[in-house]
Amino acid sequence: MPNTVTSMLPHRSTSWLSTSATKGRKWFQRSGISGQLLALIIVMGIFTIGTRGKYLSLVNLQVILSLAAIPAIIAIGLHQVVVLGAIDLSVEGVVAFCVVIVGFLAHNKFNANDVGLWIIPITAGVGGGAGVINGLLNTKLKIPSFISTLGMSWVLWGLAVFVSKGQTIPLLNNPLRAVVNGYVLGIPNLAIIAFLIFAIIQLVQDRTRFGRYLYAIGGDEVLSAQAGVKVHQTKIFVFGIAGVLYGLAALFLAVKLDSAQAITGNNLLFPAVTAVAVGGVALTGGIGGAKNAALGALIVTALNDGLILLDVNPYAQQAVNGAVLVVAVALTIDRKKLGFIK
Amino acid sequence: MSAAVLELQRITKRYPGVVALDGVDFTVYENEILGLVGENGAGKSTLMKILIGLIQPDQGTYRLRGAPVVIKNPAHAANLGVGMVFQEGCLVPNLSIMENLFLCHEIGFRHFGFLSKRKMRDAAHAALGTVKVAADLDTPVSETTPAVRQMIEIARLLWLSKLYQQRNPVLILDEPTTVLTDDERNTLFSIATELKSQASIILISHRLQEIVETSDRILIMKDGKRVANIQARHAGIPEIEQMMVGHAFAADRFREDEQIPPGDQVTLTLENVSKRGVFEPLNFEVRQGEIISLVGLVGSGKEALCRCIAGLEKPDTGSIKLAGKRLTPGSPSEAVRAGIGHIPIDRRSDGLALGMTIAENVNLLVLDHLKVGGFISPQREKKNALRWIQDCRIKAPSPSTMCVNLSGGNQQKTVIAKWLSSKIHLLVLDHPTRGVDVGAKDEIYRLIRQLARTGVGMIIMCDTLEEDIGLCGRMLIMKDGQLVNEVNCPPYRKPSPSDIISSIV
Repeated sequence: MPNTVTSMLPHRSTSWLSTSATKGRKWFQRSGISGQLLALIIVMGIFTIGTRGKYLSLVNLQVILSLAAIPAIIAIGLHQVVVLGAIDLSVEGVVAFCVVIVGFLAHNKFNANDVGLWIIPITAGVGGGAGVINGLLNTKLKIPSFISTLGMSWVLWGLAVFVSKGQTIPLLNNPLRAVVNGYVLGIPNLAIIAFLIFAIIQLVQDRTRFGRYLYAIGGDEVLSAQAGVKVHQTKIFVFGIAGVLYGLAALFLAVKLDSAQAITGNNLLFPAVTAVAVGGVALTGGIGGAKNAALGALIVTALNDGLILLDVNPYAQQAVNGAVLVVAVALTIDRKKLGFIK
Repeated sequence: MSAAVLELQRITKRYPGVVALDGVDFTVYENEILGLVGENGAGKSTLMKILIGLIQPDQGTYRLRGAPVVIKNPAHAANLGVGMVFQEGCLVPNLSIMENLFLCHEIGFRHFGFLSKRKMRDAAHAALGTVKVAADLDTPVSETTPAVRQMIEIARLLWLSKLYQQRNPVLILDEPTTVLTDDERNTLFSIATELKSQASIILISHRLQEIVETSDRILIMKDGKRVANIQARHAGIPEIEQMMVGHAFAADRFREDEQIPPGDQVTLTLENVSKRGVFEPLNFEVRQGEIISLVGLVGSGKEALCRCIAGLEKPDTGSIKLAGKRLTPGSPSEAVRAGIGHIPIDRRSDGLALGMTIAENVNLLVLDHLKVGGFISPQREKKNALRWIQDCRIKAPSPSTMCVNLSGGNQQKTVIAKWLSSKIHLLVLDHPTRGVDVGAKDEIYRLIRQLARTGVGMIIMCDTLEEDIGLCGRMLIMKDGQLVNEVNCPPYRKPSPSDIISSIV
């Protein structure tokens, strides 16, 4: 087939339509993250001045990276659903359920189970399964993702509390503890893991057919289906990947806390949605990639870390976060209007 | 004659209450341009949807290059070398030109499991070369012009037929020129003529001139049947029109005999209205029942002027008065409340709520009159809608048909019905007959005359100068933002287009 691809005769002698005006756009402008990088620099700059340099200390930078890792992993999963033009509100339920699974199956204080390293594929699989169900509800039963994933979150959260009776399950000698809490060359391992996940997803988005289909569906689902995109399959897969990443995040959280309890899942959705929006992923779909989600998580974490260093009241912090979310969405929607009209 | 590439025999398609296609035979030969014409609702689009597998016929056979086929969906059709360039375009807006070109057929570009951008780039340049487009491949399609988008779609279909080794692909161009400038249109047709050496093209258009000039053969459809199959070089536009509509048109195309002299009362007064850099201070009046045509080239400022009158833009100076009462500039809601209607050029996006029914659209502005005891009465609503649907001859199964399912002509009639029912004093019509077939055009002219008789003043901008002259009672000519001339157009003593053109340019 490649032969037929290249054998088309170009007779490029007279070209009548040209869009070369955009040719000179530099990588920086084109990357789709220029505004986010700028925001990150500004945020860090302000806090560096505000804390008289304390903010830029090695310890604080390590803290930021380590705190950003789990929101980043979750946001990377979530943002692909957003790119589809859907939303996934099941994060907290999936994480709670997966954390409880970790509590029961890893070496723990309550029962004799110990699946060792198998806990990694198990939690990823359980999370992925929940994601696939989200996808099936959305595509096959045609339930809007807003409702299906919200319902899923409550179902799983309820099950998690019910099964664990609301208790905290202490973990014993978890083999992952050293990995999750360790550093390589001063960089937190969790941050490295998050970076690897980012790199893989970004590569998949840029250089595989799946990536094309993802953005095609986000741009226009009907037209994509007409062009031959397997819309349902792609959507289910995207929800599935999101679930896998939530499952992994749950595992890391449990290991980090050295215990498993359902409430570990609480308060994870808001930072993830904020990260996705702040990163520049358009909530209307079709625009933004893993780089946006990861950078968004970093910005949000850097902001909150700075507020803590400045001793800002936690309730005021919450208000700031809410404002940041709304402003970020306003900005991404505005920019999109310039780009295309759906 | 060369061999048939695509043959449909005795195709029938029924919908509840209508036979959309009634035993239609349809053949496309190699290397030809086939013009397909017919009124809205004649069955052209149903036929094309069957060609690309969007819908399946109830009866009949489909043969492609001699072999019977069942086309499952548009993607399947494209693989078999049959593709359609839709009026609205079918490229995904946020993807780049290159990504759109190869969407769903990227597998040949894989290199160690990942897509090779370099291979794709080379193929994309080659593919775009066949339609003479030089464009930055990474530009999102949403940032390109409609002309480029059409060419990308054509390039994609040609590339696919090469990829799947389909000889002589069939390209369907559905109303390709409605979104193009004159230059772009000429280029499109010269490329289409060139592509004849490797493909067949089905051209659908309401502009009969371009059909006659470009096609080799013309098929005429009416009421789900094929009524004629003629060689283009023997065809004349009046005969084609007659076959499309089923009866001859009177010489009085614009219903001049119904033109009435303007009333005494002044409806609209513009005093010193200007917009910086767009048009200079203007003064004119529109009387009751008077039709004023605004004429001028693109950039003459006429569009902006109309938008100012409808309240969609805010003029920098001057005042706009309706029946002596000054309107707040730049307020569309006040304009509507005062009785100024506006029929925009893009009715799909501005004029109609497409997701609502005909009845809801027609009643939208008169809900207050339909209330009984403070609540909207369903009975009155239905009565009002039915009255205007009949009056405006909107062809639809029922008042609760969604507007999105109506043909262009019937959508336009619904927009007019909405304004007619709301007792307006002034109506701004921006290209009211664009994309509308001959029969529906006549209906629209009838409605415009009816509006005039009820005393509505109108400002129109038409698709052709002939239409402007035929419809209006007075013509205002704008050039470079200035009112340069005023020409009276009384019935039966109309000026000729050549008289007008000299003052436009």
